[in-house]
Amino acid sequence: MKKQDDKSNSRRGRRNFLKLAGGSIAAAGVYAIPTISRAADTVNIGALYPVTGSLAQIGEGCVAASKLAVEMINEAGGIKSLGGAKLNLIISDVQSDTTVTRTETDRLINGNKLSAIHGCFASALTLIASEVAERARVPLLTGSSSDQLNKNRRYTFTPFARASQFAETQLQMSKLVTDKPKVAVIFENTAFGTSTSNGLRELAPGQGAEIVLFEPYSAGFADASPLINKVKASGANTLISVSYLNDLIVIVRTIKQVGLNIAINGGSGGFVMPDFYKNTGKLAEGLQGVAHWSHDMNDDAKKVNAEFQKRTGNFLFEYAGGVVAQTYLIAEALERAASADPVKVREALTALDVSSGYAAMCPGGKVKFGPDGKNIHAHPVGVQWQNADLVSVFPQADARAPFLKT
Amino acid sequence: MVTTLVQAVINGLLIGGIYALVSIGVTLIFGVVKIVNFAQGEFVMIGMYITYFLSNQFGIDPLFSLLVSMPVLFVTGMLIQHFLIRRVLGENDMPQIFLTFALSLLLMNVTLLLFTANYRTVHTWYSDESIFFAGLSIPVAKLIAFTVAMCLSGILWLFLHRTDLGKAMRAASQNREVAMLMGINPNWVFAVALGIALALAGAAGSLLMPFYPAYPMAGQVFVLMAFVAVVLGTLGNVVGAFVASLMMGVAESLGIQFVGADSGLIVVFMLLLLTLAFRPSGLGARRS
Repeated sequence: MKKQDDKSNSRRGRRNFLKLAGGSIAAAGVYAIPTISRAADTVNIGALYPVTGSLAQIGEGCVAASKLAVEMINEAGGIKSLGGAKLNLIISDVQSDTTVTRTETDRLINGNKLSAIHGCFASALTLIASEVAERARVPLLTGSSSDQLNKNRRYTFTPFARASQFAETQLQMSKLVTDKPKVAVIFENTAFGTSTSNGLRELAPGQGAEIVLFEPYSAGFADASPLINKVKASGANTLISVSYLNDLIVIVRTIKQVGLNIAINGGSGGFVMPDFYKNTGKLAEGLQGVAHWSHDMNDDAKKVNAEFQKRTGNFLFEYAGGVVAQTYLIAEALERAASADPVKVREALTALDVSSGYAAMCPGGKVKFGPDGKNIHAHPVGVQWQNADLVSVFPQADARAPFLKT
Repeated sequence: MVTTLVQAVINGLLIGGIYALVSIGVTLIFGVVKIVNFAQGEFVMIGMYITYFLSNQFGIDPLFSLLVSMPVLFVTGMLIQHFLIRRVLGENDMPQIFLTFALSLLLMNVTLLLFTANYRTVHTWYSDESIFFAGLSIPVAKLIAFTVAMCLSGILWLFLHRTDLGKAMRAASQNREVAMLMGINPNWVFAVALGIALALAGAAGSLLMPFYPAYPMAGQVFVLMAFVAVVLGTLGNVVGAFVASLMMGVAESLGIQFVGADSGLIVVFMLLLLTLAFRPSGLGARRS
């Protein structure tokens, strides 16, 4: 049974890839024939995701989710204030590479008449894409959590919780297991890892947690045992690991190998991906994490999740779910702006205040952007792997199942 | 403190065994055929995927899949030598560099196309087990990988020193022209060298599978250390690469333990720079 699942997964993966390839050829077509004016009947929105390279895995999920969201919006009648104009999604592969991200973002914006962009998910890439979008005056929505994205930018909008907020929730969760958390923080030395872990270090004293190890590591290691040896020597009872998927899989398996008994908070990123469970199996049970989006949040989220699961075989994970909400936020802004002009769309985004529907699909259920582009209502949700599913367990108001002490 | 130190050395040695399999392959190819194989990491990755599919489709334990991955890659190596490398051997190094580099890019991207970027793991009964004593832990999967890596290295050493073909290979690596004058068929020797090197990479892939996930870029993680070990142990010197690989593993582990987890490679490269400064042709160079 399992084998069959895996097989159909890889086949689906291939199909997705072909679809994607087709999509980019279509996009190239639009690029090549600028004389066809589409402004009246379609509105172009750009999507920047890595579908090749080391981050391709999450990127592919985001692309699938952005296609789903655009289909849903178009089937429901498109943008009514623009005479039912349909959304036209233009996908660009940023290849998990910062240099490529700069040129691809540039190419996407200059080659197409865009109303808005969403994308990148990996903070290191989004920071670059958002600079380019800023200069070109095209609004960019992103699920990236780096706090730097809210500095000196007028066209970047972040509907979900920030890295600094993740840190607070993780520290609060550490107290669910023990009264006196002694925390080991290990993090990859990237924009994502550094910003999240700095938040942890600043907030720990206020949350009554002691940090006994604070260790950056270079992402993509061959062996986690030296690092875990260090964690073991620190005498920590809680481990917070700020890592993408591959490193985290190796870390969790290594912890089991050395027989270290420690509460693990895998954070967001790779930990909240369906693939994390596929690769660690039972080792994942009871592990905690945080997310800016969760598929069990409300009925809307459950509905989209069901459709996504039907298409891809996986539940709608954090980043991909966020992409659906972002697409709806763009649609909402287009609706209010009644114009495809990116500057007007930006103005509409700043004035937006939604608390229902797919656009408001985030923990807390409300979106209103502050002057720094941050959603003033955003907060993360604490999650835990229980019976092969990722469920919301913290804070109480967002919990869909009780927290399991393991 | 002592326990932590000993544990760090053990960790380093265990992963050093894997580095050794990769670097011996690189150095063997360089020694005999005089080309640098930039695609060596990708053959490790192919070994991993072979092992994954054998385990996933037929439930074959990664250790037994060595019996498939090694022969498959051995033949692949011979074919690559015969159809690709043989044609670019000549005065100019550039085509050779481009060839193996292109091969590396091609293999990575074809794998990405066929199998996507998803991580694939194999779980065996010994994947999460460890031997514990005196406060130390030795993961079984890594111990097995290390032991098999040592055995394969030993067998290769015997082959190079005890068989005619092995001696021919060493002769070719010491002086290709003279070896040819002695009646050694270079094409055959080169093809076998490529085959052995790729088979070792395949073995590394199979041995990694019980504790490391396979993905299209996985080879890149291991190949960097292998290249450092090859230079450190003197280009073309199999024993040098073997010793240097274990040293690299330990240096990296100690670096992570006592300098910082993002400084493991700094320690490794310091070691490389110091070696190059004081013994420019590497640790394995013969004194003249």
